[in-house]
Amino acid sequence: MTSEPTAVIHDIGYRHYEGPRLGRANAVYALAVHSLRGTFGLGRPARAKIIPILLMVIMLLPAAVTIAAMAILKRPELGAEYPTYAVVMQPVIAIFMAAQSPYLVAPDLRFRVLPLYLSRPLGVIDYVIAKVAALTVALFLLLAVPLTVLFVGELLVDLPGPLHTGDYAAAMGGAVILALLLALIGIALASVTPRRGLGVASVIAFYLFTSAVAGVFYLVLSATGRDDTAAWALLINPFFLVEAVQSALFGVVASNGYPPGPGAFLILVGAGALAATGILLRYRKAASA
Amino acid sequence: MNAVVADITYRAMLGRKRIWLLVLLPVALIGMAALLRAVDGPDEHTAVILMKTFAVGTMLPLLGLIAGTGVIAPEIEDGTIIHLLAKPISRPVIAVTKFAVAASLLVVFAALPTFIAAYLLTGAESGVAYGFTLGALFGGVAYAAVFLLLGVVTRHAVTVGVIYALVWEGVVGGYVPGARKLSIQQWAQSVADHFSTSPFFSTDVTLGFAVPAMAIVTVGALLWAGRRLRVLSLTGDD
Repeated sequence: MTSEPTAVIHDIGYRHYEGPRLGRANAVYALAVHSLRGTFGLGRPARAKIIPILLMVIMLLPAAVTIAAMAILKRPELGAEYPTYAVVMQPVIAIFMAAQSPYLVAPDLRFRVLPLYLSRPLGVIDYVIAKVAALTVALFLLLAVPLTVLFVGELLVDLPGPLHTGDYAAAMGGAVILALLLALIGIALASVTPRRGLGVASVIAFYLFTSAVAGVFYLVLSATGRDDTAAWALLINPFFLVEAVQSALFGVVASNGYPPGPGAFLILVGAGALAATGILLRYRKAASA
Repeated sequence: MNAVVADITYRAMLGRKRIWLLVLLPVALIGMAALLRAVDGPDEHTAVILMKTFAVGTMLPLLGLIAGTGVIAPEIEDGTIIHLLAKPISRPVIAVTKFAVAASLLVVFAALPTFIAAYLLTGAESGVAYGFTLGALFGGVAYAAVFLLLGVVTRHAVTVGVIYALVWEGVVGGYVPGARKLSIQQWAQSVADHFSTSPFFSTDVTLGFAVPAMAIVTVGALLWAGRRLRVLSLTGDD
């Protein structure tokens, strides 16, 4: 009564990958590009595209209005528009940073896929570099696109008087510094929690807190006549901090009077280094968990 | 109201990292008040600046956002809300209970520290401390209801709430006077203004508009949140 064995091992055609292996640099680049696309909602469902596109449109509004004013009213006083763009639009940039930095890091922590990334040639530092680079480029684009639109508008309207090329270049330089600082802070705060909602809340809490503290101390100190100290209080707000560095570095106008000397630059470097250390410590722990 | 749901919600709010955000801001407010008092002594103008920009202008919407969305949004994100919804508890009761938890947290973490900070800076002078405390109290209740509704309606509740608080109340309200009529922050300030006689502080929304508006918004948001919970679908987002 012994029956014939029925189990058969089929060759279902699994094969080794024998093509070129692109290595670590390419993995970092691929992760960075994927993350950058995600911050603008590309490759994600339509609902994820609404907020980044809405924020980009809001960022473009002042540029559009200014170009219209130039074309219709022939208003030539434009120089201050470029260097102060970031400070004027700071709530919008802060919302973008708060909304998108948790998207970059929270799901990987929450669904515990970090070990999967790290089982590839990618290391912890590479992962962090890719994520920070993606957010830096995203924030830079958020600021650079309206500035460039404004500059192209200025070229096309062709007003009498010199072009503000220097102001435009300085604003773009400031945008790079701002984007890097905000990306480091955003990733550092967002990577603390695996929950997206809480991540958004903590990043925006950081911005609102620093800007409110800067505002309160500035108002109180100016009201009592200590204007020098009041200028230092402004630097608590990261947007004013970067504007202070930008105006010192490139010699362009600023929306406030800032303390002279290298103080602002040192605070900027210190804040950036602190955030970077925080991210590395966090991920050293997250990678082993 | 359901005591078990309230108990679970309190534990979720106070037992995790969320509590640090709830604690840090009030501590910073009281710390700043103490610092300003130590440097300059009691000063009514300073108190009004601190209350208006920090307590009601920043801390209240932020805590409202954290408490209002925090009581429900994480459960919807996780999908664990299904266990709660599967129980024979009416959905509006769940909404009201969660709202009561959020509102009570705002009383403890927003209104009370506001009173302490203002009292540190002015004592009972000109009613600044009492006015802003009542403003924070009423504003906190309205924020809790509105942000709870947002937490039920959208997966991006925190982002949408931030856009409302920063762009609408902050930027648009700063330039367009009409937008100030539709701003919880301005309503809270109207209440504060009514009870204080400080010459450094005035608002442009009348109390006769602010109080009914707050009542309608709070009740309306709660009713809507209850309705939305009855038809909630747990589809994935991203």
